Amino acid sequence: MSKKSILGLFDTPDQGADALDGLHNAGFESHECDVLTGTPYPEGTFGEHVPQHRLFRFPLFGAIIGLTLSIFITTATQIAYPLVTGGKPILSIFAMLIIMYEMTMLSAVVTTVVGIIFESRLPKFNLGAYDTRITEGLIGVVVNCEEKDLSKAKKVFTDSGALDTKEA
Amino acid sequence: MQQRRKLDQKQINQELLSGNLKTPKWYIPTMLFLGFFVVTGFATILYMFNKGLGVTGLSRPVYWGLFITTFVFWVGISHAGIMISAILRLTQAEWRRPVTRAAELLTVFSLLTALFFPLMHAGRPWRIVYWLMPYDFARGIWPNVRSPLFWDPIAIGTYLTGSTLFLYIALIPDLAVLRDRTTGWQKVFYTILALGWRGNPRQWLLQAVAGILLSALMLPIFVSVHSIVSWDFAITPSVEGWHSTIFAPYFVIGAVHSGVSAVVTMMALMRWLWKWNNHIRPEHFDALARLLIVVATAWLGCTFLELIFSVYGREAPEIALRELMIFTWPWNLLFIIFLLTGYIIPVGFWIFKKARNNIVIMFWTSILVNVGMWLERFLIIVPGLARKQPFTFTWEAYTPSLVEWYILVWSFAWVSFLMLLFARFFPLIPLFETKESQVFTSETKIGRATVPVIYREED
Amino acid sequence: MAQETNSAKYSKATLDLINTTMIAPKKMKLIIMILSILSILGIIGIVLKILNGFEDKSAWGYYAATISFLLTTAAAAPMVAIAPTIAKADWVRPITRIASLFSVVGIVTALASIPLIFALPPLIVDETRRRSIWFEATNYSPHVWFALSIFGLTLCGLGLLYSSSIPDLAAMRDHGTGWRKKMGKSLSRGFIGTDSQWKSLQMRIGMMGTFYFLMLMFVNFLFSIDFALSLVAGWKDAIFPMYHAMTSLQSGIAICILAMFFARKYWGMENYIKVPQFWALSKLQLATTVLWFYFFYSAFIVFWYGRSASDQMVINLLIIGPYLPVFLGAFFLEFFVPWWILVWNRVRKSIPSLAVVACLVLIGVLLDRIRIFVISWSTYSNEVIHKKFVPEQDFPQFMYPSVADIIVFIGLVSLSTLIFILSTRILPLVSVWETHQSLLLTKVVKYVRTDVIAIGKPD
Repeated sequence: MSKKSILGLFDTPDQGADALDGLHNAGFESHECDVLTGTPYPEGTFGEHVPQHRLFRFPLFGAIIGLTLSIFITTATQIAYPLVTGGKPILSIFAMLIIMYEMTMLSAVVTTVVGIIFESRLPKFNLGAYDTRITEGLIGVVVNCEEKDLSKAKKVFTDSGALDTKEA
Repeated sequence: MQQRRKLDQKQINQELLSGNLKTPKWYIPTMLFLGFFVVTGFATILYMFNKGLGVTGLSRPVYWGLFITTFVFWVGISHAGIMISAILRLTQAEWRRPVTRAAELLTVFSLLTALFFPLMHAGRPWRIVYWLMPYDFARGIWPNVRSPLFWDPIAIGTYLTGSTLFLYIALIPDLAVLRDRTTGWQKVFYTILALGWRGNPRQWLLQAVAGILLSALMLPIFVSVHSIVSWDFAITPSVEGWHSTIFAPYFVIGAVHSGVSAVVTMMALMRWLWKWNNHIRPEHFDALARLLIVVATAWLGCTFLELIFSVYGREAPEIALRELMIFTWPWNLLFIIFLLTGYIIPVGFWIFKKARNNIVIMFWTSILVNVGMWLERFLIIVPGLARKQPFTFTWEAYTPSLVEWYILVWSFAWVSFLMLLFARFFPLIPLFETKESQVFTSETKIGRATVPVIYREED
Repeated sequence: MAQETNSAKYSKATLDLINTTMIAPKKMKLIIMILSILSILGIIGIVLKILNGFEDKSAWGYYAATISFLLTTAAAAPMVAIAPTIAKADWVRPITRIASLFSVVGIVTALASIPLIFALPPLIVDETRRRSIWFEATNYSPHVWFALSIFGLTLCGLGLLYSSSIPDLAAMRDHGTGWRKKMGKSLSRGFIGTDSQWKSLQMRIGMMGTFYFLMLMFVNFLFSIDFALSLVAGWKDAIFPMYHAMTSLQSGIAICILAMFFARKYWGMENYIKVPQFWALSKLQLATTVLWFYFFYSAFIVFWYGRSASDQMVINLLIIGPYLPVFLGAFFLEFFVPWWILVWNRVRKSIPSLAVVACLVLIGVLLDRIRIFVISWSTYSNEVIHKKFVPEQDFPQFMYPSVADIIVFIGLVSLSTLIFILSTRILPLVSVWETHQSLLLTKVVKYVRTDVIAIGKPD
């Protein structure tokens, strides 16, 4: 039972949306189908399933780590080497605040970036059924299904006016 | 908006990747020219390390001179990127699209260059690294968190890391385009960097959310960086003219002023060098100039407040400093040039719509702004130090040496060199933003008039 | 067919909005009565205060705080209409009228500030000039310039309100009844909507808006320095006028959110003022909240690091002195609590919680004003003002407001509310012509399988 994927290439978003409708009518599940485009379209343009993500948790998590770490570093280093300068207290909260702020933000940004890559389900170097013309403006509709269903999908694609189909 | 043309994605790829898929004719000579300054500049820096800071004009009591001025200048320029990409992204300004990447790039490279200056200025850079990161823990000596000189590298490091990641995330979809258009080692290179981007709805959604989320995170960092640089000066009570509460916002607004002007300069060059007339249009210059009028005026207001409050206390040393800065030769000449180039001439042009839409005028006025802004930093840093203060036994005027001037020239060549190097391998105008803008804009007829329309998704 | 439904929509909006001026919400009469009584009490309180004389400056501290509170909330509210209009934001159209209606409150502020101008000490005290921004100016310069500027600001605000309501007055001339029809006829000055009339209207709104903004900054600048900063010997704080102006924008946004909330609740504006308006303002509110901390910290860190006696005095007197609880109240209500509430996306889309945040911010701003102005006015004395800084033994004790102070505060706030409510009987709370503009330019359209909002952006 090997999963295969098939790609249909369409000229306009309308044809892509028709193809996706066709696939649903032919009994394919939402999670089996995907739309590939060279540019973002408004959410739900192709009637596709709107993806859910948890990106907003990442910066929060990162900020907490950064804050904790920075509180530790600023206090520990100052206590470890207590040199009074400028008549200021060894634990000068107003100066430490600046370091804490920067480290919190840094950590939040880094975890956000990790989150973006993770939530985009990247890196994934095996592209599956893909065509370079997608980045030239064609709309690609992909189905990941059992090998036996490929012909059904292909028929939907040709019926919806696909310029080309590809299997991988 | 009326200057917009409908382009298909194939044409956008062709036009915007023209410099990546083959080398333009002017490219190698320009790189050689800049490369000459880069190499000789590095040689000068090494010469200075070898001979010591004696080859500069720095001497008692002026220890902060051209290097620190230029450091502040480049940190200032770096504020362009986040200003353009983050603020304009959050306010959904449609005209930001062709400008964002180049602005972010300028942020990264100018910050990188700025970092060189305090290191060089220390004379023995290997030591400054030890102060910041005492890698040999056995001695138990730790950096002093109460010193703003320690805040600086932390803030700049955060900003540099953040903006590099920001740049990379927005580059991923374009890397996929390049992956699909190249062969051989280049394809391998872009395939690895693109991380397997396919462009499904999930990835596009994340890209959009990331743009907003990262903008919101970068914005506070952006404000903090130049504030911290300003506190290098402001929290020092001992140098006249530095101890002012307005310094943080004053520096930040000044940085935005110089940074956005640098973006204008760069956009004009991009339009001329790569002939991107379809993408960088007079309307973009017009919008940036209108933004700049506001920024410049806010900056002038801060300058005014700074001056007013310096003499507000009616203390003799402060008044004497301002007399030196504003009325005494040669500072008075610099002061007049600073006011003329920093505000009066550029804004004088920008209030006219014709000038805003004229790229040659915009190019030259934006350069003038940066001349003025460099002088502003020089006028803040040097005169205050050059004045006689209690317990200084010697004081004299500071004249930067040839070595310092040459290193200043090097920094410009170095930033341009890095930018051009980047431009050879990566698109300077974001392809996906350009394509997105084609999808999300349209036109409608109201009566006989054609009105541009922007599509926005419902919340 | 489509044409018909369109014109039906337009006329429905027109009648709907004009009707709001005539149909009173429930209990309107009762509220107006209560407010009138309170206002009269307030005026009596002011008269009593004046009869007590201007010699004892500390008696005027709470009065100054009240004026500052009115100035910062009501006078800044029109900015909510001006700034987004200049930036061509489309969400602002339903709320421009509410925001600019606040300029009628300016009349109260301007008139109530007259006694305070009399209470302000002259520049030359005991034949010596006290520190101020009026370095060599004649003795009563601050009094004259502040009086001119506050009345100028009020006139400018009324001018802006009038200019932006001419088309609505014309609509009332055509569709109103009774005295409203007559008023519309005489005030709309023959506006019939020709192309040139619209053009000059837009131009006038733009110019008046810019001018109002500049005047507002000027008034904030004068008021904060002359009525607070320069009354405390040794308080030199260049960021203070900016801080005052920024908090004023913060409370201007808060009062607008509150007014919008009530407009929905009692005037039935749910169909016009919707979530996008609150959503947009909430972001601005969040930004000003964070900026509050930034401005505060920029000043604080400079004083904290400063080793001079006057630097230390500022912290001891204004922050950790007897007014520490008030400061902490302001800190939490202006920054910490709203910040933590507003960072959550869900809160920023919920109208009641935004109204709560707005109330908190307003209380915070009031506390902050009390701290600044009561301290300044009670620290001032003819002996201390010429010293380099206020000595510890001259620090004032915590001063509670007198009964007259409380009555005056309640009275002036009631009077302002009363005038605002009465003005809604004259002009519709949502501008008719801008509603038409929205109907014309903003539509929900089908895009393949989804709906998007198409926003027309005419030049």
